[in-house]
Amino acid sequence: MSSQFPLQNTHRNGASIARTTLEQTALFLRQNWLRLSGIAAALIFFFALPAMFDQIFGFSADFELHRVSLIGIFIIAAFAQNILTGYAAQPSLGNAAFFGVSGYMVVWLVNDLNQPYWLGLVAACAVAALLGIVTGGPALRISGAYLAIASLGLVMLANSILTLWDTTAGRESYLFNNIPAALTDDHSLYYFVLWVVIITLYLGYNLTRSRIGRAFTAIRDDEAAAESFGVNLTRYKLLAFTISATLTGLAGGLYATWGGTASSSMSSVDQTIAFLAMIVIGGLGSIIGSILGAIFVGLIPLLLGLLPNVITVGTVQIQITTLNTGIYGVLLLLALIYFPMGLQTIPALLQKFLQRRKQS
Amino acid sequence: MAAFLQVTLAGLVTGSLYGLLALGIVLIYRATGVLNFAYGAIGAIGVSVMYELIARGHFNFWLALLCALIFSFIFGFLLERIFARPVLNAPVFTKAIATLALALVLQTIADQIWPELAQSVRFATPFDSITTRIGGVYIRLTDIIIIGTASIAMAALTLFLTKSKIGIAMRAAAENMSTARLMGAPVSMLIALTWAIGSLVAALAGIMEAANLNYVGVHMLDSALLYVFIGAVIGGIESMPGAVIGGVLLGIADNILALYLAGHTLGPVNIGDPGVRESIIFAGFVILLFLRPQGLLGQRQLRRV
Repeated sequence: MSSQFPLQNTHRNGASIARTTLEQTALFLRQNWLRLSGIAAALIFFFALPAMFDQIFGFSADFELHRVSLIGIFIIAAFAQNILTGYAAQPSLGNAAFFGVSGYMVVWLVNDLNQPYWLGLVAACAVAALLGIVTGGPALRISGAYLAIASLGLVMLANSILTLWDTTAGRESYLFNNIPAALTDDHSLYYFVLWVVIITLYLGYNLTRSRIGRAFTAIRDDEAAAESFGVNLTRYKLLAFTISATLTGLAGGLYATWGGTASSSMSSVDQTIAFLAMIVIGGLGSIIGSILGAIFVGLIPLLLGLLPNVITVGTVQIQITTLNTGIYGVLLLLALIYFPMGLQTIPALLQKFLQRRKQS
Repeated sequence: MAAFLQVTLAGLVTGSLYGLLALGIVLIYRATGVLNFAYGAIGAIGVSVMYELIARGHFNFWLALLCALIFSFIFGFLLERIFARPVLNAPVFTKAIATLALALVLQTIADQIWPELAQSVRFATPFDSITTRIGGVYIRLTDIIIIGTASIAMAALTLFLTKSKIGIAMRAAAENMSTARLMGAPVSMLIALTWAIGSLVAALAGIMEAANLNYVGVHMLDSALLYVFIGAVIGGIESMPGAVIGGVLLGIADNILALYLAGHTLGPVNIGDPGVRESIIFAGFVILLFLRPQGLLGQRQLRRV
């Protein structure tokens, strides 16, 4: 599956078999056609989605599109968690703290201080990055389950402080009244989120292929070996915390925009565990895994909402609405039992299955 | 002073329950590497069974208690066989998230079986409204029984794990599964037994919490569970006495803070707000872990290179 686009076929003695660029491109396409066509299909699908929704849902298309936009925000947050946990192997559950703080920052800056929206978003990301460095430093001393629970404590701390801010200011949650007009329209919000996701994932893909990304993977696979090969553990772990916090901050700012409000539930244990659940279901250390996991966690509740409220089997009436959480839990369990390495393994499993059929 | 003693007593009661729950969590974590976030739901189901027996079955309190504990034991055993076995070899995160999914499923089922638990219900205990007064401190019989039972349960569990043959085999299986198997320990059975005992402990703690709070609910242990995890980690999640000490300390700290913060304000901020108390506890917890990353009684991890 490796992409061998670089000039690997040029002979050292300058013999005449240097391939032309055209041939190399053809080779690259031949080796990666499956992945490339998958990406192209996904892009076409997501760009055409609003039009499809107009056809399917009619009047409620905008509403449904708005709900689906949330999944894009989750993808960013899941990828952020994945950089930290899947690539750099830091089992930190603190990301929801940055998520909430950044959401409040955006609303505070844009609403109360009347700053332009983009400045608010950038400043919120910067604050999240700073918090990532501040908390990431001490976190390097802690490992394993201790780090997981300690960072969970960070989330609860953020939750308490944000709740306190709300109660002190005498409000339920922090209403975002000053959203730029362009983003109050569901279609433009969808495309805005979509573009942010595409740019984030493109940059993220390059990051994981860069020196930094390879250092993360080296730390994950064997810390001692990575260190002996000259990977500065402290620096790269801290970098992972910072990048992850920044991206989570971006997602948090978008979330406040999406919901028109920032509330302390953004920094809740449930939220942080949802981020972890996304990458565990999707697959650790994989971009496609982050996407699949966020879609699973974001979409399944929406699909369950489409079920009829009451199903009658014979004489028994089953109240589906009260069962939704349970059904979601069962689906989650099945996904974890059958794909312990995440949904990202589905394409590989499918390929293996097809090959076996071809052979027999 | 009386007020201080009164809250210390209350702290000791919640603390000993936290300690007992932490013990069960550490037991399962060490044996199977599962950070069990479904532990609160498992305990709550045991309590709900007890409520069912007393309220609808009109059982005597002690008989209901016995039946509920036996039920929880078997329930834990079945849970391990049906749920934990398929993910036994999965990565740690997968297992932790799987227990969260399990909690969702269990709570939904419990909500279906006992819809009345959404309202505030309770069951009567033989010790209700028996109170004495020593100095200025009111002591409920329930308080004494909870502290006593929790201590005895913790001591019994420790003795079982260190002295009995099965307990030693359980610890061996937790330490190294394949070696224990080679030594002839029935590892698969032992793991199921760990879950069964863990579930029993959860139900016992849950029933005492129900008596303490005078309230039964499917989500009654959810908020306690986070404190329990924090307590377990403060003490050192590899260490059983550490987990107990962490849980007790947390319970006492929480109650004492509540006493001293109540009614004070700092500028516009109402310090008596539970949020302030939680902030202080979580901040203290995070700072403590930064100072002692392996917990109070945990051993420093040495890395073999």
